[in-house]
Amino acid sequence: MKQFLLQRLGSGLIVLLGISIFSFALIHLIPGDPIRIMLGENATAEQVQALREQLGLNQPLLTQYFQYLSHVVQGDLGTSFKTGRPVLTEIIERFPATVKLAASGMLIAIFIGITMGILAARFKDTLLDFSAMSLATLGVSIPSFWLGILLIMFFTVKLGWFPIAGGTGFMDLVLPAVTLGVLASTVISRLTRAGMVEVLTFDYIRTARAKGLGESAVLFVHAFRNAMIPVVTIVGLQIASLLGGTVIIERVFDWPGLGSLAISAIASRDFPLVQGIILFIGVIFVLINVLVDVLYSVIDPRIEVGKLKEGT
Amino acid sequence: MGTTVSFKKIVALTAMVPLVASLFVGCSSSSTSNTAAPSGTQATTGEQPASASLQPKKGGTITIGLKDEPDQLDIQKTGMAVANQIAGNLGGGLVTQDPETLEFKPYLAESWTVSEDGKTWTFVIRSGVKFQDGTPLTAKSFAETYQRALDPQTAAKVAGSNLSEVASVEAPDDKTLVLTLKQPFAPLLQYLSDPGWLQPLSLEAIKKAGDKYGRQPVGVGPWKFESWENGQSITFVRNEDFTWADPIAKNQGPVYPDKLVYKFINENQTMLAALESGSIDIASKIDAKDVKKYKDNPQYEVKEMLRNGLGLFIMMNTRKPVFQQLEVRQALNMAINKEAIMKAVIQGEGVVAYGPLPPSLFGYDEGVKDYGYAYKADEAKALLEKAGYQKNAQGIYEKDGKPLTMEILAQTGTWAQAAQVIQAMLKDVGVDVKIVTLEWGALVDTATKGNFDMTLMGYTLNDPDVLYLFLHSSQIANGLNFSAVKDDKLDSLLVKGRTTVDSAARKEVYKEIQKYVVEQAWWVPLYTEKQFNVVRKPVEGVRMHPLRGLMYQDSWVNQ
Repeated sequence: MKQFLLQRLGSGLIVLLGISIFSFALIHLIPGDPIRIMLGENATAEQVQALREQLGLNQPLLTQYFQYLSHVVQGDLGTSFKTGRPVLTEIIERFPATVKLAASGMLIAIFIGITMGILAARFKDTLLDFSAMSLATLGVSIPSFWLGILLIMFFTVKLGWFPIAGGTGFMDLVLPAVTLGVLASTVISRLTRAGMVEVLTFDYIRTARAKGLGESAVLFVHAFRNAMIPVVTIVGLQIASLLGGTVIIERVFDWPGLGSLAISAIASRDFPLVQGIILFIGVIFVLINVLVDVLYSVIDPRIEVGKLKEGT
Repeated sequence: MGTTVSFKKIVALTAMVPLVASLFVGCSSSSTSNTAAPSGTQATTGEQPASASLQPKKGGTITIGLKDEPDQLDIQKTGMAVANQIAGNLGGGLVTQDPETLEFKPYLAESWTVSEDGKTWTFVIRSGVKFQDGTPLTAKSFAETYQRALDPQTAAKVAGSNLSEVASVEAPDDKTLVLTLKQPFAPLLQYLSDPGWLQPLSLEAIKKAGDKYGRQPVGVGPWKFESWENGQSITFVRNEDFTWADPIAKNQGPVYPDKLVYKFINENQTMLAALESGSIDIASKIDAKDVKKYKDNPQYEVKEMLRNGLGLFIMMNTRKPVFQQLEVRQALNMAINKEAIMKAVIQGEGVVAYGPLPPSLFGYDEGVKDYGYAYKADEAKALLEKAGYQKNAQGIYEKDGKPLTMEILAQTGTWAQAAQVIQAMLKDVGVDVKIVTLEWGALVDTATKGNFDMTLMGYTLNDPDVLYLFLHSSQIANGLNFSAVKDDKLDSLLVKGRTTVDSAARKEVYKEIQKYVVEQAWWVPLYTEKQFNVVRKPVEGVRMHPLRGLMYQDSWVNQ
């Protein structure tokens, strides 16, 4: 187990190194000069040059990258070009809002997704199954900004139930979390249904029923546990990506999280901030993936994490 | 994959942020006649005869939705127009500008005199004004503030360039401030009247706050900075000691509301939903297409202003041989139907531009409508033929076997829409245009490097000196003269324009400049758009300054 963890974390570091190279190259490749954006157009040639030197942007890209890397290794993500504040401060300030939204969205998604998936599997090929799966298909195809705007129009403008752009309180959270939850639930419900349909044909389910267990105990305790592995994987991935900031939903609901920070950082070519955010998200992905692997063995003791690789 | 698409769309929205970031955002009344017309108020719709009789009440909060969040509020270190818009609440200028007559009046300076040669400006500073940290405002405060702006260490962006003609600033005593200029500089009073960029700063507060000053600014204005929720809002509270209001306001005491909050909402739809649900009281920069329903609703008051700058024009790159021919430049001017573009892109909510200046700026020449180029496709073709072009089999003009093909740079959003209309119009005449759509930062980058044929552009500035920035030959390498116009006659006219202090004489100079720029046809002026702010009813008494935008000194919440 320990060795496994070390191994995974080691490969995680390599992934992060790759991410840092990739994000660095990408942000420097898109056209647009941050100095120009920052200084505006009235800046004199000397001002432009001075700031370029001050920020080290006059150096060769490779030198810039290694300087960046050596700072990152020491835990210094640099300072934002735009605000002049430490990148880490900017990220940490926005992260709680993103966590709040991602967590509540995922709770809703898991609840809706698993319930719908189990019911659809239990009542396979009935009207219930059909409607649940149609809804899931619809959910996958609906763009999040569209659903978001629709909910805002109805619940905020028409009914006046929930505020918008009010902050990060509970009432402000409801609509974006529901939007997120509904959309994220669709994949979960499909996977749950698929897993359950398979598991429900197994002998031990018949045994469970035969020994007189209630249907809900059969479904939730016996069957679901075995159908859970793909669901956990996808939930893990979803959480990881949601923690990176749900760009669209944060924008539509004016939610001050990591996603909206990323957008404005890209627009202003705030190199250190963009790189910092991407790296931060990378770390989260790596950590959650490790966590998911560990969870496998908790859910299904037959899986031993250390032996995953030798397994097949 | 819906997410990828909308991600791009949203990035585009962010990038659409109007304009030349460092130039001022300001607004102007929709009156299109001369600048001296008392137009500020009549331009607004739903002018409030009912509320005018109501007595303003104290208390409440006014919340304003803005699309962009500033980088910081140290007004000398930021270059963002939105920072100036917000920091204007903290400050005030040496002089002020009457919203109706556009005349300059004393404000934080009781009076001022200009020496015979136009180079020495002496201001007498008003007594009894205090910074919000308690220190009194003296001539020394102004001197230190402006010295800080001129110090290369500060790297003051806009404040520095507004004072660029100032050689030295001195305060011989507490009441006297002397600015010595390198040469007479006509736009100076205009710049000094801005409550944002050139407001006095408390050096003590700056020293105390250190590098945190940008997020806890101090000024002499009616509103005191309270807090900044990163990514969400900036809050001000009433300055209770404020008894030195701008003379253009009716209310000369402290402001009425307890708080003034700026909320940052980048999405247009979200901004409108926030307005309709009451999360914000004022929505700023609303698109023409969204504004109609608010005009028809008595719950809202639409404040419209004509932008103080050209909203859209085409710059031709004279580095390219094709644009070195006057006939070609003139032909393109005649091949484009400005009205049609304005209708297609901004629902006709603006005025067509014939010259380089909009009606909202000082020096605008009414006559430009007569001598500017009207849409005449046939004459455009004739001019191209005169320039030696012949139509080829595809219906495109060509010379020496080279077809008349060119690229146009456009920012994503309305500019790109305009580019499509332009492409169709030029195709009709026989010119092949390719559209290159870029984000704002990338467009400026490309234009600065001179790697383009034509580009769309827009500007906002309170003074016609903006033409110096866009057309003087000194501005080619690192400035805004993307067209690379290098013309001795124009250069000397532009210098004359900024150094002629007498306003009647100055007006004549700009008259000549406009005529010459139109004749030479380096640009295709297209339109100046109206800008809309929507105010929700419980908020009363929001006034408009044609060059500064909304003013809150007389505003109150009717609750």
